[in-house]
Amino acid sequence: MMRNKGWAMEFLMAFFVCSTCISFLEGVIGMVFFPAEKLGYDAFFSPLLFGFFSVALGAVTKSKRELSVKEILFRQAVHLFLIELMIFGVNYAAGLKFGVVFSVVLAVSVAVIFVTVYVVMWLNDRKSAAEFNERLKEYQSRI
Amino acid sequence: MGTGKAKGGMYGGMRVCIRKILKKEDEKVIIECTEITPEVEDIRAYAAGKGAEIWGTTDSRRTERFRLEDVYYFEALDEKLFAYTGEQVYEVKMRLYEAERAFERFHFVRCSKSVILNLLLLEGISPALNGRFFAHMKNGERLMISRQYAGEMKRIVMGGGNDEK
Repeated sequence: MMRNKGWAMEFLMAFFVCSTCISFLEGVIGMVFFPAEKLGYDAFFSPLLFGFFSVALGAVTKSKRELSVKEILFRQAVHLFLIELMIFGVNYAAGLKFGVVFSVVLAVSVAVIFVTVYVVMWLNDRKSAAEFNERLKEYQSRI
Repeated sequence: MGTGKAKGGMYGGMRVCIRKILKKEDEKVIIECTEITPEVEDIRAYAAGKGAEIWGTTDSRRTERFRLEDVYYFEALDEKLFAYTGEQVYEVKMRLYEAERAFERFHFVRCSKSVILNLLLLEGISPALNGRFFAHMKNGERLMISRQYAGEMKRIVMGGGNDEK
């Protein structure tokens, strides 16, 4: 139960950070590359959907077995690759064709968001570690 | 029977009596209280943990007794269990899950599938990759805390797990 709660919290946090970053990215890229384009209300769902599926693809980094650092890094690279594949695949399926420059900018931006989400999660873990360490000292002094 | 020594607690603290006895094996701590509070449980756990000894075999096949409180962690390797103290590594004739259960009250906690660490000899933790943490022991060793067990460790240290024994 506690473990499921932990997973859910982690998923939600990654989802919110990711969706926020995607909204920001879509805004910036849209203004730079497609300034004349007007979008409908349905466009508001796009960061949420991309955010949800990007985080859900993070399932490839999970394992019942304890992974080594190398294995984790490899799986994170696979995670990033799958996200890139999803984004380019969805756009291609929607009939959008990108030039080389735009494709590179999009791919790099996705990678930046990917790293940002992991950095935010790591910072959150660092905060929780600091809190743990403080309480550990109290725990040890009680004994 | 031995010589008695008693010290009254000042400022409302608990009275402490120490009585010298002759036989080592008769040593014991008796706590007299009206209610079993978390503080009483802490004292019980402390007293129970002090001086507890287990048997282990060294590299040179010598069987020795060593103090549980000196063990930084237990690690299961190839179906064997090893206890790591500051100076020595002992093979202990136990399974990991047995050690986990038996030494829980001595503040040992599971931190990964193969390691049980001593919370009293833990210096602190720091974040690693993918929701995992590093455990920095007081002897400078670094162990991995897997995400599966990180929650339980946090519950014990931060959520009053010691009070639930």
